[in-house]
Formats: sequence, C-alpha cells, structure tokens
Amino acid sequence: MGVDSLGADHVHMAFLLHDARGLERGSREIAAPERRRAARRLWRVDLLQAAAVATVAMAVALFLADGGAAGIGDPGGALTALGIVTGLIATDLVLVMLVLAARVPLIERSVGQDAAMGLHRRLGKPVLVLLLAHTVLLVAGYAVADGSGLIGEVVSLWNTPDIPLALLGLGLFVAVVVTSLVAVRRRFRYEVWHGIHLLVYGAVLGALPHQFSLGGLFAEGTWQRWYWLLLTIAAFAAVVVYRFGVPVYRTLRHRLVVEAVEPVGPVGDGVVSIRLRGDDLERLGATGGQFFVWRFLTRGQWWQAHPYSLSAAPRGGALRITARALGRGSAGLASIRPGTRVALEGPYGIFSEASRSRSRLVLVAAGIGVTPVRSLLESARFRPGEATVLLRTRSVDEGWLLEELRELCRARGATLITIPGARGAGWLSADAEQQGLSLKEFAPSVVDSDVYVCGPLGWSEAVVAEARAAGLRPEQIHHERFDW
Amino acid sequence: MRARAFVIASAASAAVLLTGWQLGTAGTDPAATTASNGGTSKTTGGTDASSGSSSGTTDATDAAATGSTTQQAGSGVADGTYPGTTVGTRFGDVQVQVTISGGAITDVTPLQLTDHDGRSVSISNRAAPILRDEVLQSQSASVSFVSGATYTSDAYVQSLQAALDAAGF
Repeated sequence: MGVDSLGADHVHMAFLLHDARGLERGSREIAAPERRRAARRLWRVDLLQAAAVATVAMAVALFLADGGAAGIGDPGGALTALGIVTGLIATDLVLVMLVLAARVPLIERSVGQDAAMGLHRRLGKPVLVLLLAHTVLLVAGYAVADGSGLIGEVVSLWNTPDIPLALLGLGLFVAVVVTSLVAVRRRFRYEVWHGIHLLVYGAVLGALPHQFSLGGLFAEGTWQRWYWLLLTIAAFAAVVVYRFGVPVYRTLRHRLVVEAVEPVGPVGDGVVSIRLRGDDLERLGATGGQFFVWRFLTRGQWWQAHPYSLSAAPRGGALRITARALGRGSAGLASIRPGTRVALEGPYGIFSEASRSRSRLVLVAAGIGVTPVRSLLESARFRPGEATVLLRTRSVDEGWLLEELRELCRARGATLITIPGARGAGWLSADAEQQGLSLKEFAPSVVDSDVYVCGPLGWSEAVVAEARAAGLRPEQIHHERFDW
Repeated sequence: MRARAFVIASAASAAVLLTGWQLGTAGTDPAATTASNGGTSKTTGGTDASSGSSSGTTDATDAAATGSTTQQAGSGVADGTYPGTTVGTRFGDVQVQVTISGGAITDVTPLQLTDHDGRSVSISNRAAPILRDEVLQSQSASVSFVSGATYTSDAYVQSLQAALDAAGF
C-alpha cells in the first residue's frame, strides 16, 4: 500500500498516502495569477457591498429630497417621518434580499451562493423589526397629527385603500421570517419551509400598492416614483430570470439523464456516485468544487431539490456527483434508475478556482465533504508539490473516493494525508491532537496557501478557526455550508 | 465587511444623503412651494374667479353667473356663491366656493381638495370642516392653519381669499 506514518514522532496519528512535498521547485513569480484574480474578485465584493449599502442611503435620500425632513418639527411629524423612513429602508432591504437569493451571476462569481445567502439570512430579522416599527410609528404619528386616538387611527387606516392589502403582506412576511428562525426551521422539511418561503413574493406585491397610493413621496410625476418602480421591477426580474428562467432553460437545453448509479465504499454507508450525461455540458461553465441543485424527475422525487457537489471535474459531456443518504430526500438516491431525467440549477458556489488567491493549495475534508475536494483537486491549477490534501477518515486507507484521490495526487504531484481515528475536541482525531499535530505541521507553507474546507459544520469551523489563528487572511480561507 | 468596502459604502452613502438633503431643503418651505405651484399649475390666475376659466370648475362658475347673485341693499356685497381659484399643491389641487348671504359668509364648500394619495385624502377630509368653522367664525380668510395639514390649509385660504376678492367682500 505504501502507507508511511508522518514523521517518527507521529506514528499512527496521520498517514502519508502520497508524498509530493519534495517536488516543489523555487517560488513562483510574486504577482501570481491567483493573486490578481483574488484582487479583482475582492474589488467586485467590495463594490457589491457598497452598492447594497448605497441603496439603503438612497431610500432615505428619496425621502429627504421630497422635503421629508421639514416635517420633523412637531412630535406627530417626527413619528411619521421616522415611520416612513423605516418603511423605505425595510422595503429596500427586502429587495436586496430578493437579489441576494436570485442567483445573479455577478454575485455568484464574486461572493458565492453561501455568502450571499448568509447575508440574506442575517437580514431577515432586522427587516421584520423595521417593518413592524414602520407600522407602529405611522399609526402613532398619524394619531398624534390628527389628534385622534390610536384605535380611531387604526380604524381610519383600515378603511384607507391598499392598507388591508399591505397588512396582509406584513402578515405573510411575519410567517416567512418566523418559519426561517433556526429553531422553527428545523421542524419543517425543506420543501414545506420553501413553500412557505415563496409567500414572500406575495408579501412584497401586497405591500407595493400602498407605497404608491398612500404617501405623497411616490406620487405620479415624481422621479422618486420611477426610481422605486425600477428598483422593484429589477429585483423581481432578477428572481424571474436567474432563479426560474435560467434553470428551466438549462434543464431543457442540456437534457440531463442519469447514466449510472454506483455505490461508493461499503453499501451500508449509503454513499452513491451518480453519473449523468447531457448535451453541450461544457456550456454550463461548471468547474470542480462547484455544486448544482438537482431534481430527479421521477414520480416520487421530482419535488425534492438536492444541493450536491460535483465529485469529478466536468468532462466530455458527463457530470458526476457523489452523495450520502443523509437527509430524508437523499435516502431515495440509491433507488434512482439509469435513464431518469434530471433538472438542474447551477453551477453555484466559489469553492473553486474562482476564489483562488495563492498559488499553493491545502484541501481539508471530512466525511462526504470529500466530494468537492476531489473535483477541485482535478480542476485546480497548481504545480507539483504545491497542493496538500488532508482527509479525516475512518481508518488509514479507508475513505470514500480515497483511491481516486490517491490516483489524482500521484498524477498531479499533490501530497495526500489521512488522519484516522476517533473524534477529538477540534477537527483532528483525539490521538493526533494529543500529539500536538496541526495544520502547520501537515502543510508547512499553509500560511501562504489557499485553504479549502469541506465537512460537517462544527468540524469545518474548527479548521477555519485554526487557519485564522495561523495567520491566514480571510480571502485565503474557503468554506461553504450546504445545509439549508 | 472589509475596510475598503466600508470606505466606499460610507462615501457613496454620504454623497447620496447629502444630495437628497440639498434637493429637499431647496423646496421645502410649504408657502414657497405652493406659491410657485400656484403660478405654474392650473390656477385661473388673478382674482377674476367669478368669471371662471379654470377647467373643471365651469359648473360652479355657471352657478355663480346664472342669477344666484342678487344685489343686497345697503351692502356692497351681492348674495351668492363665489368659486375661488384652483391652487395647486404637491398633494393635489384645492378649490373652495364661498356662499355669501346678507353680507356675511354663511358657508364654505370645498370643490376640490388635496387628493393625490390616500393619506392626503384623509388629511383634507379632517382639515376641511375645521377650516370652514374657523372661517365662519372669523368671517375672513385669516385663519390659523390646521396642524398636520399645512399644504391643504394654505391652498384652502388662498382659494378662499380669491373667492372673497371676487365677491368684493
């Protein structure tokens, strides 16, 4: 087998399955293409973030440009002004959330779906608070200005055109945010949660009429009205085109079909590789490390969407994924028959060459997290000796896709190390931890490498924390979560 | 958020907010806005309202012209109804009609009130009866504005003053 233990001091803690550490020759040019690529990508990230913040400022500026600040003099006016501003900011942020979830290619390539959806998730609760504040502040503001009681003002507003519809929208939004709170979300299966989540389009549309009919800000003939309309239309267009249109088009155009379903490792593991064939697959522009959302179009499964990473670089009209029967949906994977048609959304994610920032590469994986690492290693640009693969495995030379990885590492000159054994406190095995092994020990030049991490969430976070502590910059650390 | 993104975001936001503020303060004085709008919108112009040239107010003008006006002895003011000018505001046009009987203002009827949006409608519906009462009490167009209905009040008073001028009140 050619298994060497890593260093005399570390017997049985970690195992060198393939050693390419001596192959590295001299240092590459200072301005490596990876660094230039990262610099360009980080500019895009910064500009996108600044643009998102600027739209919030713009929402407030619409109000200021309309002379909104003039009414702040009296208490009623101040409450009303604050109420309008919170409504404007909240609506703007809802549109930002729609765009973040729309899979816009520019956002996909720059920050990746995981980071975009992370921001989308973080915005949900603050936006709900802003929307509720908007409602309360305006009722109070109007009540003070009109000299009527709160109840009277509520009744009068209820009888105002478009307000009942807006309140319906608010109710839908509350339902969407509450079902997305971590504790509540886990009670639903994905498809149910997603169905409720789609109500958000109703929420946004329901809230739309009162924005134009109730306040004078978006009255006919104002430029503010045009800006707001265009912003809303653009957000919805992004969703319609990239979330629905593009996937449907790609599914129809590439006519993906299951070619073979093969078990990986012991059958009891429930891990299978699925090979798919289709037309013009190179036009998808997918690379190793990326993932698609798959739907197997059989009677019992078409409604289940699975986010699975490619486990091999796309080549010659074929794609391959490897997945473990983890969730309720994955359990039926092994029963999929060759010939099944497949719908796809993607490719998504920048757990790929798109996020490279250094010429050296350290890939760290545990469990089924090996899949994107396997395909990334195939697609990545590196010279012999510049890449290291670290795998947490059950035993020395037992792991899903391990033989394939070993072949790849031999062919491309990458170092392959397995770390078997029982779980420790961090990301290593308990034994390896006791021996004081670390990322730096395994890959001495990790500080000047890109580190890609894929595995269970808590485990990945431990690797990321160690990489940060070792002095790696944020753009060198790549980690995407796949749970919803 | 990275430092560079923060700087760009701050600069862009500050620029956008300042521009908004500038645009806003340039035309926020309600009186100034109303005056300028009044000059450029469908106002009938001048105080010659009883002969009415404003579109959409012909009914009122006809009413004033077709003999509801009778000379009241002992006073320079003829009984009758006199429509005021149409005054444009950013929330919609305002026009009122005054009824004079026995040399006194007996009624003020709004022909048109700010109605560009739902909130304006509810504001003008609230303000109109208050303004009417004040006018009947003071027997003039010099009344205090209803708070929270500055634009409506201002235009109401302007239109009323024009009607009173036309009546020679």
